[in-house]
Amino acid sequence: MNPIFDDFREAYENGDGYLLSQTLSPIPPSSQPQRVYNFFRSTNFAAAQKDLKQQILPFKLDPDESKGWIEIYHAYWKAVGEVLNAENAQKGNTKAAWSKVYDAWKEVLNALIRGYTNCGFEAWTVPCLYVVGKYLRIFAIKADEGSGNSIGAVTSFQDDFNPEAEKNEKLEDAARQLNRIFQICLADRAEIGESRKWGIYNIINLLFKTYFKLNSISLSKNILKAIQAYRGDMPTLDKFPVGHQVTFKYYIGVIYFLDENYAESEKNLTEAWQLCHKDAIRNKELILTYLIPCHLLTTHTLPTLALLSPYPRLQKLFLPLSRCIKKGDLAGFDAALVAGEDEFVKRRIYLTLERGRDIALRNLLRKVFIAGGFEETKDAATPPVRRTRIPVAEFGAAISIGSKETMDNDEVECLLANMIYKNLMKGYIARERGIVVLSKGGAFPGTGV
Amino acid sequence: MNTSWAVPPPPGTQGQPYGYQSKSQSHIAFKLHKTSRAVPDMSTDPPAYHPVQVRQSFSQPALHYPPMVQQPPQATDQAAEAGEKKKIDWPVPVRNYVQRSFEPGRMDPDVPRAEMEAKLKETISTATEKNVLYTLDWDKLPLPQEMIRHDRRKAAGVAQEAWRQQSAAGKSFVDTSTSKKRKSQELVGDNEDSLPPWRATNPRNGFEDRVTYPAERFDKRQQPIQDENLKGTSKFHKNLEKRQRRFDGGYKSSYKSPSPEPVSGPVIGTCQILEKQYFRLTSAPIPSQVRPESILRQTLDLLKKKWKKEGNYSYICDQFKSMRQDLTVQRIKNAFTVTVYEIHARIALEKGDLGEYNQCQTQLRALYTQNLGGNPVEFKAYRILYFIHTSNRTALNDVLADLTTAEKQEKAIKHALDVRSALALGNYHRFFRLYLETPNMGAYLMDMFVVRERLAAMSNICRAFKPDVPLRFVTEELGFESDSDAAQFICDYNGQALLEEKEGNMRFLSGKAGQIFEVAKSEAFRKVDIKGQI
Repeated sequence: MNPIFDDFREAYENGDGYLLSQTLSPIPPSSQPQRVYNFFRSTNFAAAQKDLKQQILPFKLDPDESKGWIEIYHAYWKAVGEVLNAENAQKGNTKAAWSKVYDAWKEVLNALIRGYTNCGFEAWTVPCLYVVGKYLRIFAIKADEGSGNSIGAVTSFQDDFNPEAEKNEKLEDAARQLNRIFQICLADRAEIGESRKWGIYNIINLLFKTYFKLNSISLSKNILKAIQAYRGDMPTLDKFPVGHQVTFKYYIGVIYFLDENYAESEKNLTEAWQLCHKDAIRNKELILTYLIPCHLLTTHTLPTLALLSPYPRLQKLFLPLSRCIKKGDLAGFDAALVAGEDEFVKRRIYLTLERGRDIALRNLLRKVFIAGGFEETKDAATPPVRRTRIPVAEFGAAISIGSKETMDNDEVECLLANMIYKNLMKGYIARERGIVVLSKGGAFPGTGV
Repeated sequence: MNTSWAVPPPPGTQGQPYGYQSKSQSHIAFKLHKTSRAVPDMSTDPPAYHPVQVRQSFSQPALHYPPMVQQPPQATDQAAEAGEKKKIDWPVPVRNYVQRSFEPGRMDPDVPRAEMEAKLKETISTATEKNVLYTLDWDKLPLPQEMIRHDRRKAAGVAQEAWRQQSAAGKSFVDTSTSKKRKSQELVGDNEDSLPPWRATNPRNGFEDRVTYPAERFDKRQQPIQDENLKGTSKFHKNLEKRQRRFDGGYKSSYKSPSPEPVSGPVIGTCQILEKQYFRLTSAPIPSQVRPESILRQTLDLLKKKWKKEGNYSYICDQFKSMRQDLTVQRIKNAFTVTVYEIHARIALEKGDLGEYNQCQTQLRALYTQNLGGNPVEFKAYRILYFIHTSNRTALNDVLADLTTAEKQEKAIKHALDVRSALALGNYHRFFRLYLETPNMGAYLMDMFVVRERLAAMSNICRAFKPDVPLRFVTEELGFESDSDAAQFICDYNGQALLEEKEGNMRFLSGKAGQIFEVAKSEAFRKVDIKGQI
């Protein structure tokens, strides 16, 4: 009846999980753009189950397994019908249509999970979980974003309304469903060669993605705790498909980043960066979005033009700030930060980039120090020593450049105290005398002076 | 007449005295709210807890009453009642009436206790208001459960479906046509193909697989042979799964109450009493115990007066919580809702109850997005300060994302944003200037983190300034009211030795402070722990 089952047969003959998973995709392969549509049109509501039985029984699978697949394709057939219906739904009423898609797709997932728990599906088929999980998330988002009235009024015995729950009703449900997949992968006790555990990082990545979208990143920690608890029974991360590793490390890096643990963040992001496929420009761009601010704080270094050249978006994001940091242009830095604020906030890097101002300030103060020249030496033989006693007023004048008002001395001292405290500048402030005494051996650590 | 009011507690409840005794004549504080759930009952067979029906779904609250197991009178009640007797001298007939109502033999399993209590309360308060407390023939008066049954029959006559909409007054639900429609759809959706509930509930339904198809047995026997034919299958694996499956789904509780699906939709309250003790809902709200908006408005006025006059926070907070609950269960979202939350948030702020404050601000944030009025600027500014206090970076980022350009220019919000950026950049100088000119009630919030920021600034100063600074400098830079306050602060952290008088001026030996402020600072930043925070 259908090319879908040609692929099914081939996948089963070769144990090709990815090919098998494609038969459950709601998006037809580019080589057969009509495949999903034709599949839906090939039967009808009354005959679907019987027709599918006829398709699948001849493969002579284990009867349990056959039954499982018939249920899955039956659910899939219904879900595709809803997808086709939703794609043609009238504007203004998309919510109801996509909600139906979501619910129908959830049935596909339920049938699939039953396949693993009740019908003895083997581990090589786990890519089906990836595909079904992936589209569950996509459909949930479409349902939540759709326009029109929501059908199910959310009520619980809470004292207050839960605004988030109403906004992300389906996606929150999707997170729960993905968690079920996570559990059936994690709890598989089959020997590792035939274990569903091999699917776990793909599912974790889906979960992370969902949690980020839901703005409940803290839930990711539960997942990490769970795999930590099972680590003895689990192959190490580097044994998993590289694609899973890269995404996983990326998310871990970002989670650390948001926790302000920049050292760990940098470690994970760097690993993700190194493992990332060379042509995966978009992924590399995402990794750099966090790796660059991270690097700025941990090593006080800026991205080179060469690094940024393949990524116009990142250039736009980071170059204006980088220039100002390099020049020690505080006013320019503030302006660039304001200009990019919306974008930075959206990517959750604003609060980190803001701290780049310290580096800009350090560079400015360093310029003052260098401009101060050298102490006069009586003896021409001794190497010249830089002037290390610098009036606070000189720093103050530099800081006020580009700003309309002059900063008062107390505030200048405050900023200098910060530099000293953060070890960006070595020395001390002698307040009575109004000077800063800088260290003779490396006043600005790591900058060569 | 007694000025302090309370209905004698029925047996089975502890008449826990309210934290607050009303002094005003016009308002009646009732204490009939169930506090008995926690009382363990060891003397008799029926359990002392109120069985709460298992929640079946989020979207359809069970609006029918949960099945109740009535409690017999308990020994503890005597003591509680005796305690009450001192305060109010209830006429004996009234006491007997109450006693009779709760006699186990007379209890009606169809009439939940809460409803009975409400009815009882209503009866007694009506009698009191009409001044017939002493003249009424209490012995002949029908018991509350009888009244309720009567009311229900009456209501049933009005509408065929009233069994679904039980209400004491018989007028609880204004059932619009749309919600009727929805109801029927939901009924259909839930009991698909009119399967019996025990078949329909469990979505995984491993049960069904096991029960309905005898052929499966045959399959199972066949399976080992099949295994050989299939590539790469581990027999062990399969058997394991089979064994697991016995526990998976098949035996999960699939009990569902055979009672009909409740009507979905907001409750319409009928309670006419202004004050109500907060009690966390564990089952669907009962209309007779929910106050409609008109009453809540009066409640708010009353509470505002009481707060001004008496300032009893635990009472006020409790009352506001019950108000919020009543608003929520009736889905009232309007300017009045905003006012209630704003006032509660302000009071909680003033009292430093951050848990409660946070709950309110979370609601306010959602309410403001619907443009219902109120003071969004003021509260958005608090929100920023609050997240600074809790060091919640993720939330701060979200706040920034929420603000519009125009809002960022508003005085209070701009102030809060400046506070944030001053702290982010370690600019304590600017931070303490901003602290001294905080608009609205933001200072209550800033007070919560000003100490730790002072410690941070002190750590900074001690590292950077040598050999010393005038004490006055510390006072000014760290926003102290006076030199002695600053000195006290230093002494609080064992810095007495760092204060020295020189040429008639107090000086702070910053260069010799070592790590004392550093240690205190990391300690202070470590613990930001707030009750009720998510």
